[in-house]
Amino acid sequence: MAVRRKLIKERVPTPERPPKERVKDFKEVNLGYTFELAVKEAERCLQCPYEYAPCIKGCPVHINIPGFISKLVEYRDNPDKAVREALRIIWNDNTLPAVTGRVCPQEDQCEGACVVGKVGDAVDIGKLERFVADYARKNGIEEELLCEFEEECTGELGKVAIVGAGPAGLTCAGELAKMGYKVTIFEALHKPGGVLAYGIPEFRLPKEILDHELAKLNRLGVEIKTDHVVGRTVTIEELLQEYDAVFIGTGAGTPKLLNIPGILLGRIYSANEFLTRVNLMKAYEFPEYDTPIAIGKKTIVIGAGNTAMDAARSALRLGSEVTIAYRRGREDMTARIEEIKHAEEEGVQFEFFLQPVEFIGDENGRVKAVKFERMRPLEERDKRGKRKIVGTGEYVTLEADTVIIAIGLEPNRIITETPGLKTNPNGTLVVDENLMTSIPGVFAGGDAIRGEATVILAMGDGKKAAKAICDYIEKKRAKANA
Amino acid sequence: MGYRITAKENLSVIDFFMEVEAPHVAKAWKPGQFVVFILHEKGERVPMSVYKADKETGRVSMFIRKLGKTSLQLYYEFNVGDELWSFLGPLGKPIKVKYYGNVVFASDAVCGQAENYATLKAMKEAGNYTISIQSFENRANVYPEEFLAKPVADEYYLTTEDGSVGIKGHYLDVVKKLIEQDKVDIIFAGGKLGSLAKLAELTRPYGIPTITTVRQIMVDGTGMCGSCRILYDGEIKFACRDGPMFDAHKVDWDDVIRRDSRFAEQQALARERYLAKLREKGVI
Repeated sequence: MAVRRKLIKERVPTPERPPKERVKDFKEVNLGYTFELAVKEAERCLQCPYEYAPCIKGCPVHINIPGFISKLVEYRDNPDKAVREALRIIWNDNTLPAVTGRVCPQEDQCEGACVVGKVGDAVDIGKLERFVADYARKNGIEEELLCEFEEECTGELGKVAIVGAGPAGLTCAGELAKMGYKVTIFEALHKPGGVLAYGIPEFRLPKEILDHELAKLNRLGVEIKTDHVVGRTVTIEELLQEYDAVFIGTGAGTPKLLNIPGILLGRIYSANEFLTRVNLMKAYEFPEYDTPIAIGKKTIVIGAGNTAMDAARSALRLGSEVTIAYRRGREDMTARIEEIKHAEEEGVQFEFFLQPVEFIGDENGRVKAVKFERMRPLEERDKRGKRKIVGTGEYVTLEADTVIIAIGLEPNRIITETPGLKTNPNGTLVVDENLMTSIPGVFAGGDAIRGEATVILAMGDGKKAAKAICDYIEKKRAKANA
Repeated sequence: MGYRITAKENLSVIDFFMEVEAPHVAKAWKPGQFVVFILHEKGERVPMSVYKADKETGRVSMFIRKLGKTSLQLYYEFNVGDELWSFLGPLGKPIKVKYYGNVVFASDAVCGQAENYATLKAMKEAGNYTISIQSFENRANVYPEEFLAKPVADEYYLTTEDGSVGIKGHYLDVVKKLIEQDKVDIIFAGGKLGSLAKLAELTRPYGIPTITTVRQIMVDGTGMCGSCRILYDGEIKFACRDGPMFDAHKVDWDDVIRRDSRFAEQQALARERYLAKLREKGVI
């Protein structure tokens, strides 16, 4: 007879740095579990059987969540062993747990489906995943496992080129390397990581963790060529002559801007520009670092996704007062709950139902205020389940000497200029069920095909594409040998 | 891995020449396209026009003004044999090289002077009659002969604003005369933004196609950040991805010029700090 577990409704909290202290720097906000706390939280998991576990179904890469959590409890007397066994299970499905444990919207995925969550707080799966990754990294356990993996990475089965070193590309690369392919990633920026490098601030994903994940790929034999823009430095056509297949993971790298009067005023940034200057180029350490950022005393961030939260919290850390203005209501904000909570704790103000209609400039050509129209929600809902909104004809003007626009992204158009590469009206690449584009041998995934989604969905695509690429190359070989 | 500097030379009191080994860029570069480099780990991403790119040797060369912190540091601290941290390109769209008839290229500052040579060379190879105009402020700013666009031009004009060398005046004066002589089928130009705005107004009444470099502050250079956005024919375009060469008649020049000074305070601070350091060390 199965042992009936006692259900503990409340989550074991993870230590966080106090808001007043953390807004002064860019160091990580959440400190993560200790082993003891992790075991306590792990014990709350009801261990749903693999076939039924809703958390696994809710995870885009189907990590065996009860499996890895059970190891923490099972080997509670031997932390190293507990983590080694847990990491082995996670790595079967996801080689970047230190990243996903930090940036996944768990409340919409694994934790959103958790049975414990129906009666209390869902098991903190994200923090447990992060704990396993962090502990393994710090205690040499990852190193042991990498040595085992390395031997499988022969690079003999074929050559694959990957465009873009973001979550989709990195995952696809890792999977293909493990299968025995020689992989080369082409990255436009001087640093790999894509959105993980330029978009997500240090206080959410420290760069040393990203660097570590990238070093892992190097160990698996993956080569990363930075400073290469595919479509300019080298074309897809040229890559196909040298490689057996190509994977495009170029993301949604182009910011949407508001086409309203005043958009060209000074100190109006796209979130991408703002975050790239601050995160990737370390403008917060200007003039020690050479990239500047110009920011005033009052910042308005337009939008309510994770990018908006990242931009708002970065602006706070640069010493500005920050207000997030969103055209819909609080319940429609798309950011992770944790990010919204952190932003509020740190002092970000929120204004809802405000649609920007004009940026007002001063005599120096810099923004000094934003004019908004007040919006009103309707009962009717749109395709995404959000309440539709209409203008009220009533206007408000808020002072701001800095504006950051975080209303979304669209795919980068350099790659879509490739002859023969079919796109949808919104600029995303057309792919079949195997993620193959209209050019045979060229696959794509992540935001390049989704428009805007999450890191984990991009990773899921990278993984799926790796399998499809493997099949494609095998079939091609068989045909050639027949 | 870095990118080795293979040549460095003074062009004038304010500009210098630098050649870098970057085969991946040299192989693909076409006139009109630019590069982005970073000096070192703490450096910024700097867009730069290209003078020549040699597919055989894999070397790319540029004209650079000793102006901001980065270019000053490059000039004072980086020598032949040293390496740049990052070198990306080619970026932007190449110019359309075809037969136009009489092709003029006019320039009055470092980035335009580099493009003057490259563009006209390609245009001459396409069978055009090429006219080059290069303007400098005075004798001390004029480049040595071997760096001028003279060899690729069928007709060549050098002007200085004070008349110390060549024709007294600016390229705008020469262009005016060429238009009167009905000698201009298309004009390309690069250099100072203010001059380009004036050029656009000069050629507009004649309907002469006028294609100019729209220099804007950039970060990534691939269309990812939107920093280099301009208003073009009423629409937002990105100079890095959609340009950098645009039909000058459709560009909102007031905005372009204003946006160019967005980081003036920060740039001045960085420059002053660096110059103070050089003075302290006795370099200058």
